[in-house]
Amino acid sequence: MTDLSRRDFLKLARDGFLYLSGALALGGLFRFLDYESNPAPQTEFDLGPAEKYPPGSRTSIPEIPALLIHSEQGFSALSLVCTHLGCSVESDAGGFACPCHGSRFDAEGEVTHGPADKSLRSLRVVITAESHLLLLA
Amino acid sequence: MRRLLPLASLLFLLTLLLAWWMNSRAPKPVELIPTLTGQPEYCLTCHADLPEISASHPVKTFGCVSCHGGERLALDADLAHSTMRGGANPSDLSVVEASCGGGNCHSGSEADDRHHIQRVLTSVQSTYAGAIASIRFTFGAQTDLTARFGISAVTDEHSQTGITSLAAFDPTSESNPSIQKFSGNCLTCHINAAPREGDVYARQTGCAACHTPLRLPQNSQNLGGVSRRDEGGGVHILTTAIPYTQCNACHNRGNYDLRTMTFIERSDYPTIRLSDHPTTRLQDYYQPISQFTLCEYTLDCVDCHTRSEVMGDGDLYSSQAEIQYVQCKTCHGTLTELPLTKTLTDPNDIAFRMAFLNPVLELKLGDTIIVTEKGEPLWNIRLLPSPSGEGTGVRAVYEMIGKATSQYFTFRPVMGTACEQKPDEQESQYCHACHAVER
Repeated sequence: MTDLSRRDFLKLARDGFLYLSGALALGGLFRFLDYESNPAPQTEFDLGPAEKYPPGSRTSIPEIPALLIHSEQGFSALSLVCTHLGCSVESDAGGFACPCHGSRFDAEGEVTHGPADKSLRSLRVVITAESHLLLLA
Repeated sequence: MRRLLPLASLLFLLTLLLAWWMNSRAPKPVELIPTLTGQPEYCLTCHADLPEISASHPVKTFGCVSCHGGERLALDADLAHSTMRGGANPSDLSVVEASCGGGNCHSGSEADDRHHIQRVLTSVQSTYAGAIASIRFTFGAQTDLTARFGISAVTDEHSQTGITSLAAFDPTSESNPSIQKFSGNCLTCHINAAPREGDVYARQTGCAACHTPLRLPQNSQNLGGVSRRDEGGGVHILTTAIPYTQCNACHNRGNYDLRTMTFIERSDYPTIRLSDHPTTRLQDYYQPISQFTLCEYTLDCVDCHTRSEVMGDGDLYSSQAEIQYVQCKTCHGTLTELPLTKTLTDPNDIAFRMAFLNPVLELKLGDTIIVTEKGEPLWNIRLLPSPSGEGTGVRAVYEMIGKATSQYFTFRPVMGTACEQKPDEQESQYCHACHAVER
């Protein structure tokens, strides 16, 4: 093994620093270019096969939050977000009640008691080619 | 140049190392997108341990920024807090409209009785108009006791009291030294004043002066009635179950010395403690020179005094005495009259809204509650069903549930008793003559 001269050692160290700096700078650049901002809030929800929801059923989907209704007219959905300030309403005898400020809605989502002054929002439900229900919030 | 390259490279590496080290120490950002705003905020990165402020203001719906302000995306504490409204108290009246207002919140319509901020801004709690008028009258600066000034200028276009506006009280325009002393010493006590120095006064202005009690109500589910300050934490609560200790923090804290025009704080004022035995309440909290009946020191102030008395009714008044109207007879009636009552038939009755916010009892349609002479509901007092009434010989019985304690009481009206009251002597001083407690 040949002895490394002082000059060669310094040259090697310098080159090492340079390559390392370059590699880290490139890494930083890639990381910057690769940055993914937070995804937009989800607006489409796959609720699975339509046969999971028999006629007459009313199924709460808490993660949206929404209520999927399968009536004689077909599938429909109600947003369970209170139209007053946005709290999640809860099922109550004959309808829905907001736990924050006491608004009440009937089973169809119509306001029966303020402070909310608008009905619960209707959400679109479509059936995909694979017979899955897709809820559009 | 060629020689500087390794040095630049070394500096670059050190900078990267420093950046990595700082990044590794920073907390992992916690994002919240409140339903109300739909805008991400990162306050929970540091404040995830704060309890919900109230059932009506869940953080999932409101987030933090809609009430507190601040830089919602900042992860540096100083930057995040740099634009907060009102510091620790976003309900300070100087910023309350931005923090608590809005048509859907506390600047709602008068018809719905949701104009809380407007009512508070015109209330004597906020204007301090009575004290200012009284002092100016006493020292000859005005010829009668009608209020002309408030701590801030305020107008009431639909005045029912004849006072349509108050000008901002300007101490520098007063020539009498006693009025100037009053200005220097006594204007910090009202909820529209600049808060006094010190943590203990941090939330004694604005809505928080009443609704953020230093001692939690006994029926609070959070800490079992223990002051969070005693636990070394802050106070993050909004409640309508306001314990008497909160009222007494201002209303029993000392006396005015008119000779020196100063406020002398009581030396024996009880500190906030972990345990507060009710038997010591009379001695600790009530001034020796005054008299009190059993209910005046057993109940909480909010059990009898109404919203309009405390928060104002939207009109400007010249003194506290003009707006405070609840008397013993409001609940107990007189020898010839039972207390006024109302049977709840409308699900939109405001009594239900109040009971919803402080559910110490389950109010139902058909319940009969006591109402004041102005029609305000004392929704926590119900007439118990019994065969009482004229001709039955049975006296009515009312039940009362303490708003801050959930304690259960029953009482009967004065009618049918041997009480020696005179019909025109209904102020508490006359009741104290027989019913004041010994201490």
